[in-house]
Amino acid sequence: MSDLERPSQIEIAIENLLRRDPISRRSFMRRAGRGGLAVGAALTLPSILAACGIGGTSKDKLEWANWPLYIDIDDKGNYPTIAAFTKQTGIKVHYAEKINDNEEFFGTIQPDMAAGNPTGWDVISPTSWMVKRMADLGYLEELDHSKLPLWTANCADYAKGLWFDPDNKYSVWWQGGITGIGYDPNLTGREITKFDDLLDPTFKGRVGGFSDMRDMMTLCLASLGINPTTATVAQAEQAKAKLLAAAKAGQFRGFYGNEYYDALSKGDLVASVAWSGDVTQMQLNDNPKVKFVVPADGAPRWNDNLVIPKKAAWIDQAHKLLNYWYDPVPATTLSEYIGYFTPVKGIPERIKADADAARASGDTATAAYDDVLAPTVAPTADQLKGTFDYPTFENPGDEKKWNDMFTEVTTATS
Amino acid sequence: MARVSGVGRRLTPYLLLLPGAAWLLLFFAVPMGFMLVMSLEEGSLSSGYHLTWNWGIYPTVVEQYGNLFVRSVSYALVTTSLTLAIGYPMAYTIAFYGGRLKNALLLVVVMPFFVSFVIRTLNWQLILSDNGLVFGTLKNAGLLDRSFRFLATPGSVIFGLTYNFLPFMVLPLYVALEKVDRRLIEAAADLYASRAQAFWRITLPLSLPGVVAGSLLTFIPAVGDFINADIIGARSPEVVMIGNVIQRQFLNNNNFPLAAAMGFVLVAGTMILVGIYTRLVGTDRLTA
Repeated sequence: MSDLERPSQIEIAIENLLRRDPISRRSFMRRAGRGGLAVGAALTLPSILAACGIGGTSKDKLEWANWPLYIDIDDKGNYPTIAAFTKQTGIKVHYAEKINDNEEFFGTIQPDMAAGNPTGWDVISPTSWMVKRMADLGYLEELDHSKLPLWTANCADYAKGLWFDPDNKYSVWWQGGITGIGYDPNLTGREITKFDDLLDPTFKGRVGGFSDMRDMMTLCLASLGINPTTATVAQAEQAKAKLLAAAKAGQFRGFYGNEYYDALSKGDLVASVAWSGDVTQMQLNDNPKVKFVVPADGAPRWNDNLVIPKKAAWIDQAHKLLNYWYDPVPATTLSEYIGYFTPVKGIPERIKADADAARASGDTATAAYDDVLAPTVAPTADQLKGTFDYPTFENPGDEKKWNDMFTEVTTATS
Repeated sequence: MARVSGVGRRLTPYLLLLPGAAWLLLFFAVPMGFMLVMSLEEGSLSSGYHLTWNWGIYPTVVEQYGNLFVRSVSYALVTTSLTLAIGYPMAYTIAFYGGRLKNALLLVVVMPFFVSFVIRTLNWQLILSDNGLVFGTLKNAGLLDRSFRFLATPGSVIFGLTYNFLPFMVLPLYVALEKVDRRLIEAAADLYASRAQAFWRITLPLSLPGVVAGSLLTFIPAVGDFINADIIGARSPEVVMIGNVIQRQFLNNNNFPLAAAMGFVLVAGTMILVGIYTRLVGTDRLTA
């Protein structure tokens, strides 16, 4: 794969605005600003030579597919934490922002996986339920925990032994978050505490929904007092009916991907389904008035993971990369940059320490920023208590039925 | 020098057609065939899709999404009419009164293409937001009700489509108007035609090829567009177009057969509409 064949950073950034995936606004703006640079870089001599097939073809890099805007990046477009990894281990990494959607990415590797061929990737970063699907299909390498001492030492309790991989046989946590509600109390005129508040007719046409089926259906199921993780198709029908009625009444202004961020921070939406990390960014960068709440009746927690696909060429090196992310030093840098839930113990304290250091050196802006960020990079016990996991869809046909139901909601005509 | 044989002479037109025909076959007919076959399959991504000749999917598509097809066609028709109404005077002015500025004005028309389609649309989302540059100002001036909104309404999606496809209307119109022989208009004047009569009887009929080409170039992409309903329309159920659903079924739900069936209906339906249109106005209009 040559640089010329890859879409420019700006194309990726824009593409992702249109889809559901966890990116933070701050990183998007930084990345979008770099678009011009990336286009220029695509025309450098090495990339042209590579495009023409001139140069070595033997493997010299670890291939890692991750979601866009999900790592620290400097003004020159380098990834400092990955550079440090290469310096430490001598392993070069080709970091590819190739996952825009779990299903879509799965579609690109599924034919090779099914045929037992290597996919070309050494590490990929699927979301919880996708890890389960791939593990069940036998598409993932088992991890050798003797090669992951930092994971054993530093992984926080909330980040291991999860439903989709109870013994962490195949996966370790990359970053995670909660899908809850973001709202501006000045515009709603009251506090929002539960999902049904979004359906209050006073907010008609000024409420944002997500275009993601799992988030919307599970939030609605929880509001009906049904456990979304184990919900049946019949129960999902109830949730659909409730969402459909609201959609027909024009309650939702739209079903957004990442664009909900702008609409919420500018006040087009008084309240919206929102990702935890985003609202922190909003408070810090765009609109301090917006608040985040985990609905009283429950909210889905999610996380993306690092896994090694079957037949990966560099299994040893991949383990080194997985282990590296449980070193608190790069984990802190990463959290300060992207602000989702980290799996590593003690990161909030380290960010606090960075805040104090910044204050001591007179950098009050960074200090204030880190002060707000620190408590948000790990879930609190209270937050976790109110959250649940996505449905497991033990019966493979069910997922399609849920998708069809939700498509009906998003195309409802009154 | 060998004479071209009789057979060779008869074959020449077909040989000349070959590159174009191969292009159509390879990039249109074959993919349409693939799409048709895929639409008749059943299964899932994990278990694989198998051809079961499931023709029943077509009635389902029409029944379930018929209203969205109708909506998309109506949006595209309104868009085409609006771009024609706005684009014709523009093209006319540039062609007849552009003078030395002609090239500069044409450059202005195509200027938006220097910025990505999606970025331009995202910018309209910022400009037209409820409290943004336009409506925020009007609301602050007391000219609009506080609760007024434009984004995520059908009008806003048609606005976006019209804005984005206007150059596709203006350029063919310009080419057609530019070619109009000015001496014919002088002759009309010599024969005591008023300026309006000269326009209706000379200029307009001669510019029809531009109108046909422009409306096809606008209508066809507008029917299948999903970006405007996505960004300006916020995927509101009130405005989603058939393209949005095809995208969702294909990329998010991995329901390839359904997406293929919807795509096939969209392309076939568009071809029928375009066929009727060109039959009504005559294909020779395109080549005049």
